[in-house]
Amino acid sequence: MLLQPVPEISLFLAWAAAVVPLAAFGLILVFLRGLPRAAAGTSVAAAAVSLICAVCLLVRHLGMDAPLQSSVTWMASGDFEIAVGVLLDPLSLVMLVIVTCIAFLVQVYSLGYMAGDAGYGRYFGFMSLFAWAMAGLVLAPNILQVFIFWELVGVSSYLLIGFWYEKFSATRAGKKAFIMTRAGDTLFFWGWLILLVWGGTLQIFELNSGAHGLSSAMTTASALLVFGGIIGKSAQFPLMTWLPDAMEGPTPVSALLHSATMVAAGVFLLGRLFPFFSQSDTVMTVCMAVGTVSMLLSATMAMVSRDIKQVWAYSTISQLGFMIMALGAGGYAAGIFHLTTHAGFKALLFLCAGVLIHAHDTNDMFVIGRAGGRRMKTAMVCMTAGALALAGIWPFSGFFSKEAIMGALAAADNPVWLFCGLAGVFLTAYYTFRLIFIILFPRTQAAGANSHGHGSVPASAAMYAVLVILAVITLAAGFFAQGFQDFISIHSPHAKDGHTAFLAHIASPVLAVAGIFAAWMQFGRSASDQVGFAEKIGPVGRLFASRWYLDHVYAWITDRVLDRGIAEGARRTENRVIEGALAMITGWVVICGRMAAGWHRAMIQPKLMVAVAVMFGLTLILLVV
Amino acid sequence: MTDWILFIPELYTLAAGGVFFFFCLGRGRPGRDYAAAMMLSAAGLVLTVCTAGFEGLVFEGVYQVDLYSQVFKALIYSGFFLTVCLCADLSGVDKARHSEFYLLLCLSTLAMMLLASSVHLLTIYISLEISSYSLYVLVYFRRGYPKGAAPAFQYFVFGAASSAVMLFGFALVYGAFGTAHMAELMGQVPARINEPVVFTGFVLSLSGFFFKLAVFPFHLWAPDAYEAAPHQVSAYIATASKVAAIAILVRMIALTGGQSDRVAWVLIFVSVASMTAGNLAAMAQKDIKRLLAFSSVAHAGYVMIGILSANAMGYTGAIFYGLSLMVMKFTCFMVVVKAADGGRNIKTDALAGLHQRAPVLALALLLALFGLAGIPPTIGFTAKLLVFKAAMEQGLLWLVIIAMLNVVISLYYYLGVLKAAYFTAPASQPRAIAVSLPFRLLALAMIVFMVAGGLYPRYMTALAGAMTAGLLP
Repeated sequence: MLLQPVPEISLFLAWAAAVVPLAAFGLILVFLRGLPRAAAGTSVAAAAVSLICAVCLLVRHLGMDAPLQSSVTWMASGDFEIAVGVLLDPLSLVMLVIVTCIAFLVQVYSLGYMAGDAGYGRYFGFMSLFAWAMAGLVLAPNILQVFIFWELVGVSSYLLIGFWYEKFSATRAGKKAFIMTRAGDTLFFWGWLILLVWGGTLQIFELNSGAHGLSSAMTTASALLVFGGIIGKSAQFPLMTWLPDAMEGPTPVSALLHSATMVAAGVFLLGRLFPFFSQSDTVMTVCMAVGTVSMLLSATMAMVSRDIKQVWAYSTISQLGFMIMALGAGGYAAGIFHLTTHAGFKALLFLCAGVLIHAHDTNDMFVIGRAGGRRMKTAMVCMTAGALALAGIWPFSGFFSKEAIMGALAAADNPVWLFCGLAGVFLTAYYTFRLIFIILFPRTQAAGANSHGHGSVPASAAMYAVLVILAVITLAAGFFAQGFQDFISIHSPHAKDGHTAFLAHIASPVLAVAGIFAAWMQFGRSASDQVGFAEKIGPVGRLFASRWYLDHVYAWITDRVLDRGIAEGARRTENRVIEGALAMITGWVVICGRMAAGWHRAMIQPKLMVAVAVMFGLTLILLVV
Repeated sequence: MTDWILFIPELYTLAAGGVFFFFCLGRGRPGRDYAAAMMLSAAGLVLTVCTAGFEGLVFEGVYQVDLYSQVFKALIYSGFFLTVCLCADLSGVDKARHSEFYLLLCLSTLAMMLLASSVHLLTIYISLEISSYSLYVLVYFRRGYPKGAAPAFQYFVFGAASSAVMLFGFALVYGAFGTAHMAELMGQVPARINEPVVFTGFVLSLSGFFFKLAVFPFHLWAPDAYEAAPHQVSAYIATASKVAAIAILVRMIALTGGQSDRVAWVLIFVSVASMTAGNLAAMAQKDIKRLLAFSSVAHAGYVMIGILSANAMGYTGAIFYGLSLMVMKFTCFMVVVKAADGGRNIKTDALAGLHQRAPVLALALLLALFGLAGIPPTIGFTAKLLVFKAAMEQGLLWLVIIAMLNVVISLYYYLGVLKAAYFTAPASQPRAIAVSLPFRLLALAMIVFMVAGGLYPRYMTALAGAMTAGLLP
């Protein structure tokens, strides 16, 4: 399998898909901040152009048999060249379509959702920035370009989470997201430095084909470090708690960045480097373990949250965990397919939640339910469709991708992974329908249905149109499962796609239905008290509600270890050792200086004597030596 | 036969001195003297630049005119011209004596020009003496200085003693070789430098140049003389005089062909001693001029690093260092002259609030002090880089490390001055310093030159390299 240059038209399309949003961003920030409608129009138009380019690319290369790559040197220093370019293969084409499609739909939705906001223009500017960064990341042919756009994605995420910066909680959430992902990025940085220094290449193609000079231990080390970046970006254990907090941003932002695309960038990178990662079994096992832990932990957190967006945020972490498990188990196509379907139905769920939140001015599902959330028929139907997909019910897209993942997990050596995966399926169905039932079957009706918008703007037709489109995608995507997996799959000895395990395929939908049934028993039927089994056991409920005390651990680490430990220790060393030594040295030097200055105030006779003596003495000594 | 055309710059300077001699005969008129000095020095500067391409031997071969000497003459003349630029406010000197002041400056400049071209031990000795004699008198010109004639007299005695030692050295060299022509010595010295007579003679004959450049141990006059002299004279000693000393010292060391370890050790010793003594003593100074004197001693040590390396880079570096010192030291003295009322000496604290009183002067001072400390991108950084690189080529890494430690020490007092100029709030509201337009332009020119020398030194180093091409074996 050799690389071929990208044909000129495709190259043009790929560049356009990335650069047009950047142009929109520049245009909006410089000229159109004060003209909200023009700004929004520019941004949506740019997103549309990107989408068209991406679809054209996908259609042109649908039957490609070898990846295409073109790059130009951006800067050179000695032997080392920094190249920017485009790598077109099934993965980048699919991801580009996902990103541009969701970005376009979310921007259209935002036209209604953000209407009347003071920062309308700024919002669309940042959205364009994000679209550019994400497209550049997806198309990158080398790790350095990935890293550059990876950071740009992080910046746009920071800007959008803290979009309502007058809210203290929003700025704090933005900072938290930025710093926690940066912690992962630091590891990523070290990882690619190892690749560069010892491996001698940052080209993704060369890394994947094993054409690098790394020993197996170094391969493991660098892959683990890069995986650190993935953990941060995809909010996996232990860097997961920034994602629920990131829900402080506008709901469309949550839909686009924090469920469908940006957080999926971590999984995308794992898929990008899948052949490289699979060169080390240790790394693959670590991937599976991290994915499993994240998946289960966040599912339990989702079981007790009352905030719609937070439930979907936990669910996002959980589903990303599924994808990473699948990739770790060798289910490359399964993981990427789940990423694709998840992007659709999770964006749908968030946008439906956005409509409800928009109308009722609250995130609390009980309040929305009591206020008559179920009367918003389109939103509720779409949300139920998304929930069925999330739970993995036929014929929704989630069913097919989850079946593929279960197949990959069943092929793993250890059955523990499969059991954990099946447990995750049950929990997913349970927490998803807990939310649906709570909204659909409120216990006490509010007096009168007066809560249709506390002065907030009613949802516009554009918003509903987007919901319907996404719902149709969710319903239809599953039927392309086989074609998709054939297109995306790669020839790697570690890829274990297409594996079927009858038991697993039966168990998964059965458990999903069981989860829905359990939710019905506790939240749906009229006799239920709408208190989940986790909440009935006090300590467990508190454990889940406080996110397994992860934030306390972070606080303890930053406070005790970083602040009072390392920083304080460094400060004391600075104060006592370094400054003390410096003070001593400078003190002596100053004393010497005073003495030297004093000697220069002597009378002329000793001065002359010294001068002549030095000259003659020097001559004599050197003659003797 | 003598080609008098080659001698025109010197004749012109002599004539200029003659003009001031006639002015001395009449009543003192400071305005006229200053105007005449400005015009004559400016014209002289143009003349020396125009004659930079001259080449030839004059006076039976004892006087060599070549690129090396002519560029140095232009540099010396620039020092003279710049010093005259500072003389608009010559309140440190008695009004009646202004024409004598300019006369002596002219004569000193003339003597230094002769020094740059001298290639015979006797002409070297004579021109060195003439240049120093004018300066002895000029140091004494300070009006109402409390210590009276003591510093000037000390300067004189020190000069006389160093001359005596040097003359003794010359005599030994002449005795050993039977010739005082440098061209003839050049072929013979390297082979016999390790003979006791030759070595002793050569080292002792360096004393006079050490005195001129204020290198340890003949630097002991410098602080008192700088402090006592009128500011303009201090500036002249720190600029033109140092450049002339570098010119002749490079010529003398080039005589040995750079092959003698013993001579190198002598130079290393005086270099390290100069910079260490200069920097340490400068830390304890309050008076700015005294501080600048010690800083000159330290910089003489750095220049010696370039000279003792005795390779192309070293000579180039030494010459470039001379140029950079001239610009930076002049800028410092320019600020001192402007900041001092009526020619009084000022302490470092007196610069407090300078960046408000005269922003352009403060900026010039900032760049000059950064340059003296060797911080990029100033001309001083390039100069240090060149001499340090030369020493590294000779394998003298440890010497460079010592020099770097000295640079760190020197930062202490340079930044101390800057702190006063930029960060210390003045105790009372001091008067704003009136900076006239021409003066402002001069300061701007210095600023541009100091930065340009740091960023694009290529042209200047190429010139310095071309000058020293004839000195290397």
